[in-house]
Amino acid sequence: MKIWGHSSNYKRQTLIAEEILVRQLKQKDLQAKAFEVLVNAYKERLYWHIRRIVLDHADADDVLQNTFIKVFRNIDSFKGDSKLFSWMYRIATNEALSFLKNKANKLKLNEDQLYSKISEELRADVYFEGDEIQLKLQQAIAGLPEKQKLIFNMKYFQELKYQEISEILETSVGALKASYHLATKKIEAFLKEQ
Amino acid sequence: MQHLDKHNGFKTPAGYFEKLSGRIMDNIAQDASTVSQEEAFQVPEHYFNNLHSEIIQKLEKQDTKVIPIKSFKKYYYTAASIAAILLLLFGLTWNTTKTITYGDLANSDIDQYFENHELSFSAYDLAEILSLEELDYNDVLENALAEESILEYLNTNVRDLNELNLTNDE
Repeated sequence: MKIWGHSSNYKRQTLIAEEILVRQLKQKDLQAKAFEVLVNAYKERLYWHIRRIVLDHADADDVLQNTFIKVFRNIDSFKGDSKLFSWMYRIATNEALSFLKNKANKLKLNEDQLYSKISEELRADVYFEGDEIQLKLQQAIAGLPEKQKLIFNMKYFQELKYQEISEILETSVGALKASYHLATKKIEAFLKEQ
Repeated sequence: MQHLDKHNGFKTPAGYFEKLSGRIMDNIAQDASTVSQEEAFQVPEHYFNNLHSEIIQKLEKQDTKVIPIKSFKKYYYTAASIAAILLLLFGLTWNTTKTITYGDLANSDIDQYFENHELSFSAYDLAEILSLEELDYNDVLENALAEESILEYLNTNVRDLNELNLTNDE
């Protein structure tokens, strides 16, 4: 199921499919099947979004499962004001950021120190096979402020449109463009320094 | 004119504009396109296939934790009711027991308390508590004050004793 389509007809169909899915998720007898459809439809995109924030696979798995559980438990409070995917993306983002905050507290590190630590740990991660330049890029991203980091990952890696990121992060398109521009400049400077 | 292609027949490769920013970013590095958007992150084999069942297991585990609490709820209400009744009964019994009053305190205990504790009452506090009608000179003086001593004091300190117009009755 592709949610972020380009044609208006495709978007309309997607919205209708989302509406049906949400309605089924709220009905006890259809809930289980609808939840399976939901997980299978969104698991990979949400996983990669979370993974790029927390970097470690085991952490990403924890956060992803908690995200789906929260979606399942709170589906009644989803009023349909935004797209289902934007809502889930928001939950995933918040879950991932709180996970990192808790992790920083447990390790008695501030958030910058934690980001630097987890990006450095990628070298030894069996689930990371990036070359040196990809490692450097991850370290450069780790040094960005939180919001710029999110925007850069969503725009550069996930290729979401500004309008879509705007709905997820509830930030204006203008501010997103400025943040993305700043983020690319900082990454460029970091990579040149190395 | 309307049917003419605005790009005059020029075309771009499929997905050119969508990938443009990514390719520009690739060129940021020293060697062009060495930083790719290719996934350097890996996932364990079959991870996504098993994900749904793992989430369901986690959900069920959380639910089983919740159910016993709900089923014990009625016992909590019963226990709370019994506790309330017992408390009421004991409360009433306690009220019927003889309560200690001020009169039950031995005077010696009160004296001892005042002697052992620094109460630091100011003159104002004392005036508030004690009524003048109930007081006598001898209540606040350690040695009894003789009438002669008073007259002698007045004679020495008041310029004209006669101005006070004291009579024997006063």
